[in-house]
Formats: sequence, C-alpha cells, structure tokens
Amino acid sequence: MSIEEQVKDILARITRVDKAIITRESTFKEIKADSLDVVQALVAVEETFGIEIPDEDAQKFQNFGDFVSYVESRVAQTEKV
Amino acid sequence: MSLEGKLALVTGSGRGIGRAIALKLASQGADIIVDFFRHRESAEQTAKDIQALGVKAEVVRANVGDAAKIDELFDMIGSKFGHLDILINNAASGVGRPLAEIDVKAWEWTMDINVRACLLCAQRAAKLMEGRNGKIVSISSLGSRFVLPNYTVVGVSKAALEALTRYLAIELAPLGICVNAIAASAVETEALKFYFKEGLAKDSRQATPAGRMVSPEDVAKVVAFLCSEDAFMIRGQTIIIDGGTSVGVLAFAGKVGQ
Repeated sequence: MSIEEQVKDILARITRVDKAIITRESTFKEIKADSLDVVQALVAVEETFGIEIPDEDAQKFQNFGDFVSYVESRVAQTEKV
Repeated sequence: MSLEGKLALVTGSGRGIGRAIALKLASQGADIIVDFFRHRESAEQTAKDIQALGVKAEVVRANVGDAAKIDELFDMIGSKFGHLDILINNAASGVGRPLAEIDVKAWEWTMDINVRACLLCAQRAAKLMEGRNGKIVSISSLGSRFVLPNYTVVGVSKAALEALTRYLAIELAPLGICVNAIAASAVETEALKFYFKEGLAKDSRQATPAGRMVSPEDVAKVVAFLCSEDAFMIRGQTIIIDGGTSVGVLAFAGKVGQ
C-alpha cells in the first residue's frame, strides 16, 4: 500500500470519515479533523513510519496533500540514512 | 547550590511552565532530563539553556499519555543514570470543549496525559528514588476547584491529580519521598494562548490582587522550594499560586482594589 493510502487509512480511522472523501486537496476541517484528531493522526503516522513530525512542521500543512508529501519526504530521508 | 548532584525529570519541559521549572532546578545545580512530546526544537533550546548553567541536560521524547512510552523513558533513566531524585509531573494536554461536546476520545486523551501518566511516572520514579529523599511535584491548575469556560475535562483531570498527590504522599512517605502539587491560575505561556483568547487573559490580570498574571518563573520558584529539604514537612498539599485571585469573590466581579 502506498504511503498516501496508509496515511489516508489512519486519518479516516481517527476521524471516522469515509476515506473515499479524502483527497489531496482536502483540508483537515473538511475531513472534520479537530486539533485532537490531528495530533492523534500525527502520532499514529509517526509510529507507522518510524519518523518524527514536530508541531512546528505540522502547523504548516494546509491540506491532506501537504501532510502526505511531508511524510513521503521524511520516509525517503530515513531510507537514505 | 541546594540541588547540586541531583537528577530531575521534568515532563513537558520544552516550553512554558516546564521549561521555567527545568531552568530553575538547573540553576540550583540539578542535572535535568528534558522530556517533550511535540516540540523538539523548543526542548533542544531548553537543554542548551540548561547546559549554559553548567549542569547536564538530556533530551528525551516521550508521550506520557502512552504507558509504553513511560516505560521506555524510565528504562532509559534506569540504565543510563540508575537513579532519580526529582520528578516533576508537568506535561499536560486537554481538549477545550463545552461539556456537551466531550466525547470518550477527548476524555481519555486528557485523563491519560494529565492523571494516569502522573501515577505511572510516580510508580517508576519511586523505585529509582530509593534512599535518596526523592521529591515529586505535580502541576495542577485552579480549574480543579473552580469552573472555567470549556475546561471541564482538564479541570476534572486536575482534581484527580490533586487527589492522587495526597495518596502518593502517604504511600510513598515510608520511602522518604515527598509528594506535593501546585495549582496556578492562568500562567502566561504558549498553552494559555491556545486555550484562551486575549480577552480572558486581560480579565485575569485585572482580577488578580497581586496586579499581574502568574509567570512561569513564579511557579518554578515554588516548585524548587517543594524540591528542597526546607519543604520536608509539607506532604500531599496543593499549593495555590494565583496572586490572591481565588481568595476573594472580587475576582468574579472582574476588578479588585477599589
């Protein structure tokens, strides 16, 4: 499963929305993710991929696509190391 | 320096009150374990500032809401240092919602971090404090006894934390461990900005007999005292730090001193 699909699964599980409605353009608000949902999603993604996403970075995510791109680049960095 | 050679773990010490406590204990000679969850940059800055005071600082990431992470944290402390002198249960979180909107997830998130973590940390810390006159201080808030807007879950968690402090104080006394808490009114931190809009902060300043809001340093000084041998006979107490706000009904009228 792609990173995007895995992140989507995590977010859909936590916010209890149908994952079919989540697109790269979806904002957290559109996915009905409140601040607690977002933190829990970040923690779940961190544990799934073995990366760390500081709030300083997470606050810059405008939409789901930003979130996925960030995770993809961090995972790529980890694999290089 | 009264805390020279002591080792202190301050949970959530990257920012705000935890950072001020970490720096205060460090200024008295204690080495500090800086625990953080979401803000690594802030934690590393705190560690640098601690090291500049001439003591050691160790940065560790642990979400204390996760029991397994607490175990990992204390496993590390046990294997790396073999002891602990001071535990400051400062890390806290919360969901600011009206009562009707509090769901199981918000309740458990808040309780796990604000209360359960303090129990689990105290249990593990007590074993590392054997024969060392250990000190445990937990950070509560005035929301434990007064009703604040959208503060239900946090307020209830802090009330439980204060009760836990009393039980720990008695059960850990035979091990030579002093356990207390502090409860502050609104403290000027980043977290406060998150919880309250500027309007309430202004009200709080006006309603404080001492004439200003509580600063993180105000809290740190009291915590440092509770970590000193001078506080040996204070057990299971929650010391209020609020500039006098809670002792008069004037606070609720929004102004004082007239």
